[in-house]
Amino acid sequence: MKNVEKGWEPRILAFLCNWCSYAGADLTGISRIQYPPNVRIVRVPCSGRVNPYYIIKALQCGWDGVLVSGCHPGDCHYISGNLVARRRFAVLKDLLEYVGIEPARVNFSWVSAAEGGKFASVVTEVVNEVKALGPAKRLVKVRIEWKNLKNR
Amino acid sequence: MEKLEKSLREIAEKLLSEKKVDLIIGYERGTRPLRTTPCFVNKTEDVQKLIWDSSCDNNLAKYVVDRKEKVGVVAKGCDARLIAVCIAENQVPKENVIIIGVPCLGVVDRKKVESKLEEKEILEATIEGEKIKVKGEEFELLLAKNDFLCDSCLTCKHRNPPIQDVLVGEEVPELTEVNEFTEVENLEAMAAEERWNHFNGELSKCIRCYACRSVCPLCYCKTCFVDQSIPTWFGKTNDLSDTMIYHIVRALHVAGRCVDCGACSRVCPVNINLRELMKKIEKIVKERYNFKAGLSLEEAPPLGDFKSEDPQEFIK
Amino acid sequence: MKWKVIEKSKLPNLIGELAREYEIFAPVDRKSIGSFERLASGSEVSLDSRNTKKPPKDVFIPQTETLFTYKTGKQEVELAAPQVVIGQRVVLAVRPCDAKSFVLLDKFLSSGEYKDAYYKEKRKNTTIVGLACNHPLSTCFCTSLGGSPHGKEGLDVLLQDINDKYLIEPITERGEKLIEKFPWLKEAERADIDKAKKLSDDAEAAVKSKVSIDGVDNKLDGMFDDPIWEQICQKCLNCGICTFFCPTCCCFDVLDEDGKRIRIWDSCQFSCFTLHGSGHNPRPSGKERMRQRIMHKFNYFVKTHGESFCVGCGRCIQECPVNLDIREVVGAISALPTDKRSDND
Repeated sequence: MKNVEKGWEPRILAFLCNWCSYAGADLTGISRIQYPPNVRIVRVPCSGRVNPYYIIKALQCGWDGVLVSGCHPGDCHYISGNLVARRRFAVLKDLLEYVGIEPARVNFSWVSAAEGGKFASVVTEVVNEVKALGPAKRLVKVRIEWKNLKNR
Repeated sequence: MEKLEKSLREIAEKLLSEKKVDLIIGYERGTRPLRTTPCFVNKTEDVQKLIWDSSCDNNLAKYVVDRKEKVGVVAKGCDARLIAVCIAENQVPKENVIIIGVPCLGVVDRKKVESKLEEKEILEATIEGEKIKVKGEEFELLLAKNDFLCDSCLTCKHRNPPIQDVLVGEEVPELTEVNEFTEVENLEAMAAEERWNHFNGELSKCIRCYACRSVCPLCYCKTCFVDQSIPTWFGKTNDLSDTMIYHIVRALHVAGRCVDCGACSRVCPVNINLRELMKKIEKIVKERYNFKAGLSLEEAPPLGDFKSEDPQEFIK
Repeated sequence: MKWKVIEKSKLPNLIGELAREYEIFAPVDRKSIGSFERLASGSEVSLDSRNTKKPPKDVFIPQTETLFTYKTGKQEVELAAPQVVIGQRVVLAVRPCDAKSFVLLDKFLSSGEYKDAYYKEKRKNTTIVGLACNHPLSTCFCTSLGGSPHGKEGLDVLLQDINDKYLIEPITERGEKLIEKFPWLKEAERADIDKAKKLSDDAEAAVKSKVSIDGVDNKLDGMFDDPIWEQICQKCLNCGICTFFCPTCCCFDVLDEDGKRIRIWDSCQFSCFTLHGSGHNPRPSGKERMRQRIMHKFNYFVKTHGESFCVGCGRCIQECPVNLDIREVVGAISALPTDKRSDND
């Protein structure tokens, strides 16, 4: 980890399906299981609702990592939303890796409503991996600070 | 070639006079050397305009979507496969299209010929069998056609249209032994950073003219994601991040549908080799879901489908 | 002022001296795409026999240009001054067709009631040094539009390649001032001027492509609803190649992005070019968009500014992915019977 500001902490955006993973995250909290506070959660109706745009857009906006989590295969509230999503994510993940995005920045998991412990461990793993990579640079859209804009 | 042209014209004439179709979409001679141009024939007397040779590079499948009349389309292997994809995706009613299949030994890449001649301008060119005869001011050259074929043709495994209604001429031998993913494998072998720099360099040339999208028969979305303004998804400036995302998302959109006709690379005015992305997508879909697009009129596109046993090694 | 000559081997010295005072833009062969770029060193310049693939318009109208920046607070908006060009520029080796495009762009962007401040500012500070075309291509048709391979319109100085040397011809006062900065330039001899004249005549004769433009503007008056547009647009893919590679096309879109007001190149061939906020699109299909491009170039512009909005550089012919040849389009229109107009009225 070079050139990383002291005290830098990664920011992870997590898309959690309403029926399993979001409830799983809730259970983690209720069960007082500790996990890193680097995650911001967006609740979505189903992992199938997560358009690959969302993930790419998150990277462009400078999130250091993305996590998408849904129900285990067979448990989808909408029968097969997660299975269609699985193919979409596989292609996205392979393609992003091919163009040179670090694979650890884009993560997927199945976490059920009963797996509070698994949610904590998935988040811990993602945060540790992203921490090892350092702040995201690739695909991030450079924004110029207002103070620099003004003085130009 | 002349024999093929003759039989193509006969077929076109028959289809028109028997009222099986209202319009024939084919190729006619263009205004520049090695250039043909799409040709729309609705009168039997105009079938004489139709030609066929190795400079017929445009993908005519583009003109099939969104048509009211019944059309007969001259289609090489790649074109026919794309029409098949459009039919399978319910964009074109099968009964509205007659695919006039033409076995194809590859089309000539004008850019390759031009770069061979460097600064010299080609004023006249004819394709005679295996040779391309090019003439210019104070020069005349005979080039071996096979050295100047489009990259996508070099590894094409469906030179004979797998789906067609009428076939012009006879089938040609297929290339069975070639590895179509050599380029992708070479890129895969690079370090991630090297690949990132490579794609950065290539895509930084992009001027966002969207010719790659416009030429693609599969880009039939009523509103393309880059044109969406409520909300705006990705910026339209030539900022590198936005440009890369445009190309990545376009590649995702054609996953399991692209047949590597090579049109996007051919039309790119700044010579971006978009096949590097498209071929990877094809490889992913082939390896993960054992699917090759455009070989059936019924099979659903793999990204709109699933199997319970699909690989999920990447999911935590 | 007398004409000068410079040996080809001395050109880098001249560029080096110029660079001390001016920001220089010149044809550069970057990744084998010829375009006009800000020069980092004289050795990059590529003055080969062909014109650049990309037109030089982006020297004055960059594809992406920030107009101003802002910051919104709870009640107020704070604005930052627009970027202005500081210092003088020289654009080197502009072909006569492209130089003429600057004259047309001036008419479009900085004459009349509304003047484009960003364009005007850059234009005001720029000296244009041309390079005559000795070898026009088969797609060139500048002579049909009042231009010529050695035309001077829009130029301050004209260079001409006479084998081992460039002949330097001052055209405007500004051009003379520029040449005066190089007292070491040799004066041209009679033989040099004769040679240049011969090359110019040959080049003019080499432009074989002709388009009959006469009367096309009036004919187009009555053709708004003509069925010909349906035919012309049939093969068009509605990509932006012809407009982006056109030296005169300068339509733009304005958008806000992260506190910046930006303008970017737009194209009349794109579906969202005329899309209204309501969702209505007055140019819903390729037919209307193709008509707009042709009408703007050969009718509307002629009515408002007295000449066609095309310089005959041939870039759209070279780059069009479906070989939709503008010469054929104009030819087809001019071949229509002259009473066409009353037919449609």
